[in-house]
This record gives sequence, structure tokens and C-alpha cells, in this order.
Amino acid sequence: MKRTAIYPFTAIVGQEEMKLSLILNAINPSLGGVLIKGEKGTAKSTAVRALAALLPTMPAVKGCRYHCDPRNAAQLCDDCRRRMEEGKLPEEEVTMKVIDLPVSATEDRVVGTLDIEEAIRAGRKAFEPGILAEANRNILYVDEVNLLEDHIVDVLLDAAVMGINTVEREGISFAHPAKFILVGTMNPEEGDIRPQLLDRFALSVMVRGEQDTAKRTEVIRRRLEYEADPEAFCAKYETEQQALTEKIRAARVLLPEVELPDLLLEKTALLSVELGVDGHRSDITLIKAALTHAAYAGRKAAALEDLRIAAKLVLPHRMRRRPFEDGKLDWAKVDELLAE
Amino acid sequence: MKKMRFPFSAVVGQEKAKEALLLALINPRLAGVLLSGAGGTAKTLLVRAAEDFSPDGRIVELPIGATEDMVFGSIDMEAALTEGRKRHMPGILQKADGSVLYMDEVNLLRRDFLRTVLDSAAQGSYSLERDGISYTSPTRFIPIGTMAPDEGLLDGAILDSFGLFASLDEPVTAEQRVEIVRRVLEYEADPDAFAAKWEEQDNKLAEQVQKARELLPEVELSEAMLLLIAEFAARAYCRGNRAELYLAEAARAAAALAGRSYVMPKDVEKAALYALPHRMGTPPQELPPEEEQQPVEQEPAPQDVTEDNNEPPTDEPADMGNDSNDLDNQPLEEQAQNEQPPENPPESNPDGLAPEEDIVRVFKTLEGMKIDMGRTTRKAGGTGSGKQNTVRTREKQGRYVKSEMNSRSKELDLAFDATVRAAAPFQRLRRAQENSARALIIRPEDYRQRVREKRTGINLLFVVDASGSMGAKKRMGIVKGVIMGLLQQAYQKRNRVGLIAFRRDTAEVMLPVTRSVDLAEKLLRELPTGGKTPLAEALECVSGQLYGLEHQQEQQETVVILLTDGRTSAQYKGDDPVQRVMEQAERLSTANASFVIIDTESGYLRLGIARKLAQLLNGAYYTLPKLSEDKLLKILTSVQ
Repeated sequence: MKRTAIYPFTAIVGQEEMKLSLILNAINPSLGGVLIKGEKGTAKSTAVRALAALLPTMPAVKGCRYHCDPRNAAQLCDDCRRRMEEGKLPEEEVTMKVIDLPVSATEDRVVGTLDIEEAIRAGRKAFEPGILAEANRNILYVDEVNLLEDHIVDVLLDAAVMGINTVEREGISFAHPAKFILVGTMNPEEGDIRPQLLDRFALSVMVRGEQDTAKRTEVIRRRLEYEADPEAFCAKYETEQQALTEKIRAARVLLPEVELPDLLLEKTALLSVELGVDGHRSDITLIKAALTHAAYAGRKAAALEDLRIAAKLVLPHRMRRRPFEDGKLDWAKVDELLAE
Repeated sequence: MKKMRFPFSAVVGQEKAKEALLLALINPRLAGVLLSGAGGTAKTLLVRAAEDFSPDGRIVELPIGATEDMVFGSIDMEAALTEGRKRHMPGILQKADGSVLYMDEVNLLRRDFLRTVLDSAAQGSYSLERDGISYTSPTRFIPIGTMAPDEGLLDGAILDSFGLFASLDEPVTAEQRVEIVRRVLEYEADPDAFAAKWEEQDNKLAEQVQKARELLPEVELSEAMLLLIAEFAARAYCRGNRAELYLAEAARAAAALAGRSYVMPKDVEKAALYALPHRMGTPPQELPPEEEQQPVEQEPAPQDVTEDNNEPPTDEPADMGNDSNDLDNQPLEEQAQNEQPPENPPESNPDGLAPEEDIVRVFKTLEGMKIDMGRTTRKAGGTGSGKQNTVRTREKQGRYVKSEMNSRSKELDLAFDATVRAAAPFQRLRRAQENSARALIIRPEDYRQRVREKRTGINLLFVVDASGSMGAKKRMGIVKGVIMGLLQQAYQKRNRVGLIAFRRDTAEVMLPVTRSVDLAEKLLRELPTGGKTPLAEALECVSGQLYGLEHQQEQQETVVILLTDGRTSAQYKGDDPVQRVMEQAERLSTANASFVIIDTESGYLRLGIARKLAQLLNGAYYTLPKLSEDKLLKILTSVQ
């Protein structure tokens, strides 16, 4: 079945934090993904799928199963490395994609497995790539990520750490690049997410249904309009979609040049120490998110305001939870710490 | 695939982990190192960064999803298929020969794999007996493990198999934090330039390690140093004599790293920091009295209690009733993690050879490290083992760990790789027999099926009397506290928790069995109490819940925890409430669950209905007239 139209990202009403978190990831793939928490019917999946239309193109090695980056020698698969040593790698422009990881996926489909056909036909061991191979340099989307089975989470985490999928199973010993942007959605009432996996998400946002009547009406109106004639609806948002795509592209170009004042580094350390955040992943993510936000705003230097917005997306899921505590952030304290 | 590495010297801080790692890499007799730290403390990064310092410049990884044939070796399928020859295909254990075997998330690795890996490391060889292949090969490797303690701990015997231990949960200054972010950003922006910047330092260190390795055979331990080592081991109350050996080897490695051919007291001190934290024992006279009460073994059968009509035992479990379904039979060396740090070590310095102040100072540091282990232990729920239950599963779900002969089950979850391997040696023969040109002829006897496994916890279903009797509010509050506490650590134990409260005319499911903290917070915000005590209805409600749980196919065992004083009130005229309770209990007793009855009856005149219930349900029986969160948790710990 071919899907003709995807609901346009720019047509989603409200949910600004969720949209921002997705856009920041599209600008900076090394940011580390986002976890979207919320009840059913809050446009979580719609937003993630809509993001695909805004994703920029990127150069990839032609014919490579892992769409390796020809300009990044360090992240090439074995095949591409061999080809590179023999001569120049053929390039093609590909669009970044959203790859689905269904909760019911089995481990062999996720990490890849023995190519049975090849084994039976030619008596040869060959590797059949799985979802992680497809996800390399793309967005890996897990709906209901909290319901993912433990052993799938294990292999996901394993690949996420180094951006490499190491397979040692079913007679196959293989490794290939698997650097992906992890995007997950979940309804917290259906069970919690494993802390280690939670920590892997750079950003998290909580979405709620729009409460404002005017906005709710607008949600329904647009949905009905879309369903009546998807193509006409998409055409209506074409200009906005293109403007946003262009803004993301420009931010990507600007990002490496965005300056980082020392003050931001110091404030970040202060935040982590004062709020008692474990590990260093949050520090690194705070800074990266602030830089990316500055680039999105078209500024050449990151400012405290960028860090404040980054904190809203980075910190909430990193606060340790204790019994009878909500694990909620004291925003007054954050603001105080970030005051100049 | 080539892996990008962060330069070892560029890792900020973590001096202890770095040093322990280097010592383990210098001296293979140290049996490796275990690094423990929360997420984002650079454990994995550090090990991978140490690749240049490994004896042969390699690090062989054992990924957590590895199947048995890949770890231990198997028949070479290609050779068997194409040449009809039985040839051995080496596994990860053989590939690691002369190198380092790295296990990330070692606490999540299958215990039987881990045991075999560590035993092979200790013996220096591995024997393979499978797929018609019999093979023994020497393999010498240095095992290195990393783990995040909040995902569960390793038990004492496995901890003891690693020569050294270091924690990465060290305090970090704000300046260090800033520097860490700076370096990571710099590395990510241009890995090659960053590596070049640190190359000289890394090379120097690699050279130092190589020199130390060459020097090691010459490093001597004087009589005085041997005495000092013995002194350290004795003061740490280590069991067995492994500690001394590891202390000696670590001290030699430390001396070699410093470029000396003799061991000095400071080398022994360093060695103690890494060789002792995970094997320090309890001073015999200071065994905390609590430990002795904590039942580790199963206590007397329920009949004993019911025959005994005297004062019921308080806080004492009558029977656990249910074996935990763990697959590994490793001995639990609880003391290794549970004991108090030895305070005031006894004076024993007869010959004046051991520098007393230094020993005291080192033990002060060690105390800090040990308390750290203790904290993680407590977080794991108090048993200290942190074991997760794993069950073999018959559904086509869970991790494929190995294959077995088809046991004629109706549904075949075919392990293609194993089936092909099983068929491979016979291909030439069969082709000749059948005069067929097919590349692969598979017969039913070749079928192998997958053995899958998944981690599970248990369902804890609380059934609580919320009726008007005294203390209902307090009781519900305590139960809520315990439920929230259990859910906070639900991911370690993989447990789910639910609550049924009975009051007025009905029993109500306050919280369906769940793993969600959010849901519990929402649903348990208000806890209504008061009214009558419909105990029979509560039991009926339990039956319904158990039926539902069984059909969820989660394969989680359910434990029903019934908090009642046994009193029950009539629902309608002419009704014998006690009789109805007993009928419901009889029905429940056939359900697939185990029961814990906590009798809160107090006063002189006791009816003993709760005890009869326990008998009928074949459950564990506790009396707890004064309920508290601690006591309840203690009972639950022993149940789990």
C-alpha cells in the first residue's frame, strides 16, 4: 500500500515543545533523540511521522546497505572501507527517513541475522541486515517504547552507546554502523520506561491535549479537512513546510559555527551540581541543545536564553525519583541558577 | 568495523578506574577488573579507550545478545556444507586468546555464560562439547566487565572471580564537569584532530604499560611486604586466600607500572583499594544480629505452625511456599555486600613491620567504597543479590539464547542456524543417497528449536482491609508507601504491583496490576476507608484478578499479599460470613499463585481466622499486630 500524503508538520496545532524537540533533532542528529510522553490522541505519532517530510537530504555511499556517510571515514562499514581504499566512493543524495521499530519486533529482525536463503542455496554464511541497519543515519521511531521487551532494549542500548551494531548470533559475527536518532513515544500510565533507556533520550517532553476551546476546535477542523482531501490540505501548507525545511537547513549550516560562551559551561555545571543530576550525559546534552537552539534562532552565539529552553527539554526526565516525590523540577530554582 | 575511540588520557578524572584498568591489563594473573558506575560515567568509553594498552592491542567484545554457539564455538557450517568436513569454528572465548574479553552490562549477561567465561579465564582453557564437536583449547584472556549497579548487582561468587574492582561513582567538581563537556564537544566536532592532540600522552602511557609488562616477572615481594599483605587481608576479614593472592599480584603490577622491580608499602596500599572492596567480609564478632534473623533458607512447613497452637510467632515467616524460579544456582555470598564496615580494627602489629597509620588510612578510604556498595545493595531491595528471575519461555518471544533438539512440541520455533549446522556434516552422504543436486538436504532429525529466555519479575497483589476497624487509614497509608517504593525499583526486579481494598459492601480494585508509577500516583491519591469488612468478596475479587493475569501470558508468577485481621462481616441476613470466606479460600487455593497472609489481629481474644485462611491457601503466615513499612518490606523481601 502506498501512502499518498502525510499530515503536514506545520499543520499540527499547538504542542510547541514537542515540535521544537523534534526540530532540534532534525537540525543536530548528534543531539540524541527525544522521548514524547503523553496520553493517547495527543498527536505524538502524527508529529514524528510528519517530521520525515522536513528532514534534509544527505550524501550517502551508493549501493551501501547502511547508507554510510562517504565524508566520514570513521563511520564506514567494512565494505565501504574496502571500496574507499580501492578508490573513490560513489555518492548519492538520500533523504533522511523515519524507520519504525514495532514493539513486537523480534531480536533477529532488529539486529539482523543469518541470511537463510543464502545458507540453503549456496551453503554460505551471510549477514541479513535488520532494522538497526536501516536506522543508520536515520530516525529510529519506537511507538510505545515503554512496552518494548527487555532484550530488545538491551541490544538497542548496546548499539546506541557506540553507534555500532555488534552481532554475535546464529553463526554470524559481524559489526556495522548503527548511528540513529532515537525517538520514542509512550503513555506513562501503561508502565514506566527502564531508567537506562530513559537516560539515552537526550530530550523529553510531556504532551497534553489542548485545553483551549478555540484550539481544540482548530484541531478538529484541520483533521476533518485533511481527511476529506489530504492532497489539497498538504498543498495548502506547502509554503509553510518549505519555509521550515529551509530554516532547518540553514540552522544545520550555521550550527558548527555557533559560539559557546564560557558562562554557559559554568552555568551548566552549576545546574547539574545543584540539582543533583547523575553522570555527564545531561551536561553534554544541555550544551548541545542550547547550541542547536541558537542555530535554529539564527544566532551566531548561544545565550542563557538558549540554555533555559534546553533545560526545559533536557532536565525533567533526569531528576531522580524518590517515593512520594514527583521527581518534578523546581523551575524557580532553575531560573534563579540561570540568572545572570 | 573500525571503532572510533576517545583517547584514554583525555578522560577527565576517574583516576581509580583508570589505574585499576591498567593494573589488570599489565598483570593477567589478576583475573581482570569489574568497573561499576551509574549511566554516563564513561565506563564503556574508558574500557574501549584502553584498547592500545591491551596485551595484543585488541579488545574482544562479548555483546549481551550473543548466542551460545557464538560465545563458545561451534561446528563450521561452511566447511561442513561445502567440503563435508567437521571443522571447529572458534567462538568469542577462543578469539579472545591472548587478549582482553570485554563484557558491557555484565550484570545483565546470562549467569551461566558469565560463569563459564570467568571459569575459562581462571583455568586458561575451554572445552567445547557440542554439535558433534569435541574440542579443548587453551585460551588466556583478561576479563573486563562494566555495569550500572542500579540494574541489579552480581552475587558474591561472581564478584570474587574478578581480581579487581573499581567504582566510577566518584564525586566530580564543577570544574571537572565543565572540562568534560568541553572535551566531548571537541572530540565530536573533529575526532581525528582530537585524537592527534592526545596521541603523545596516550603513546607515552602505552609505552609505560608495555615496560611494566616486561618488568613484571622480575618484580619481587619482600618478606615484609608479604606480611603487610597478609595484614590487609586479615583486617578486611576476607574469606579464603584469594584476597592475598590478588593483593600480591596487584601490588606487583603497581610496582611495575611505577618502573620498580620491588614492591613498596604504597603499592600494597594501592592494591588494597582495588582488590579488597568487593571481597571484604564481616568481622566475626560484629555480625549484625539482624542478619541472623533474616531467613535465607526456607523456614518450617506450614503444618508446623498450625499444629503449634501457642502464641503465634511474631514477624517470623511460617513458610515461603514458593521457590523463586531462578535458573542459576550460584551460592549467595550475602555477607560480601551486606556487612558493616569494620570499625576499630583490632590492634595487631607485633613486629612493627606494618605502618599502622597507613593501614588505618587505607581502610578509611575502603570504608567509603564499601558503604557505596552497601547503598546500591539497599536500593536493590535488601537481599543484596539483585538477581533477576529469568524463565524459559515457550512463546516465540524473548531472547534466543541457544538451541536444543526438537522435543516434538506442536509448534516449532525453528533455529535455522542450528538446524543447518546439524544437517551440514551429512550433506555429501545424503546427496549421494538421494542422488540430488540440492545444496542442502534437511531431514526432520536435524530440526533444532530455539530456546528463548526472558527476564521476568513477579506480580505482587495486595489485598487490604480498609474497613472501619481501627487503623484502616494508617494501614492503607503504609501499604501505599510500600507500593510506591516497590514501583520505584520495579525495573530492577521487573515486578508489577496491584491493590485490592475491601470495605463497605464490596472489594474494589484500587490499582490494577501495573508497573507504572504514574498510574499508581494517580489512582492511589485518595484512599477511602470505613464501613464493613467483606472479606469473602475480597477473595472473590482476587480470583477474578488472577484469572485475568493468567490470560495476559506474561508468565509472571503472582504473589497475593492479604492484610487482614480475619474479621469479616455479613452481607445479608442468614449469611455465615466465615463460612463464605472459607469457601472462597478453597476456590482460590487451586489458583496459580502463592499467598502471604499478614494477620493484623490484636488483643487477647483472637479468632484465628487469618491463620485458618493461610492453612487453606497453603500460604505463608505472619502475624503483625503493629504494621509498619519496614516490617512489610522485610516480609516482601523474603517472599521475593
